[in-house]
Amino acid sequence: MTTSSRPLTKPPRNYETIAWSWMRYSGFGLVILAIGHVILQDVIVGVHAIDLDYVAQRWSSIGWRIYDALLLALAFAHGMNGLRQVLNDFIHQPRWRSVLNWVLLIFWLVITTIGTIALIGGVRK
Amino acid sequence: MSNLLTALTGYLGYRGREGHLAFLLHRITGLGTVLFLTVHILDTALVYFFPPLYADAIGVYRSTLFGIAEIALVFCVFYHGINGLRIAIFDLFSARSWNIPFSRTSVRLTLGITLILWLPATVIMLRNLLIYNFGLLGG
Repeated sequence: MTTSSRPLTKPPRNYETIAWSWMRYSGFGLVILAIGHVILQDVIVGVHAIDLDYVAQRWSSIGWRIYDALLLALAFAHGMNGLRQVLNDFIHQPRWRSVLNWVLLIFWLVITTIGTIALIGGVRK
Repeated sequence: MSNLLTALTGYLGYRGREGHLAFLLHRITGLGTVLFLTVHILDTALVYFFPPLYADAIGVYRSTLFGIAEIALVFCVFYHGINGLRIAIFDLFSARSWNIPFSRTSVRLTLGITLILWLPATVIMLRNLLIYNFGLLGG
């Protein structure tokens, strides 16, 4: 049962191999950051205790802002590339794959920018 | 359209037991998580862009329907994380682990760890729902 059909030579480094590595290395970070975030916010604190004051208090700590910045950076880029991988199962023509790449890149940039501005700007009262 | 059919038929018709189940669950939980994540970045951004609307967004999340969806979301994040860890460790450090017997064992282990994390979390979230949404348990 040890025979394997996996190629023994690594493919040359390109955008796709970088994306492949990105999913795995960002995944290591996200196991801690995302599961930690969910356990803290959804389970321990709970949505019924979350409001503007809670966010303001949480973001008054630079440590939590850095935590959220890392989560934003890792999770959304991981998610957008994952969505791209899934859609590549359905979209085979190079032209349409290129369109998909650009659409997702722009979408990623817009949402990440909105999130980053809010994270830096903080709660406005 | 034929691409869609070919891919979906492959997803559903392939009979790869545990590895196949792990693959399908990984995709479904990943898509579910990224859908919520997109909405969640935007709702959190309200605290800076339109603070008065933040309470409305949280109000939606406090509804019973979303409370149940939240329990599913937590399953998605836990499963995707634990299974993703399995994939990343195998791919980067232990390619020899990609064999059928160990895949089956490791998928079962992944599901087990996910349930150990998720079941207590579900109890706590259901309890919160009963307290805040139904006024039960002294709420």
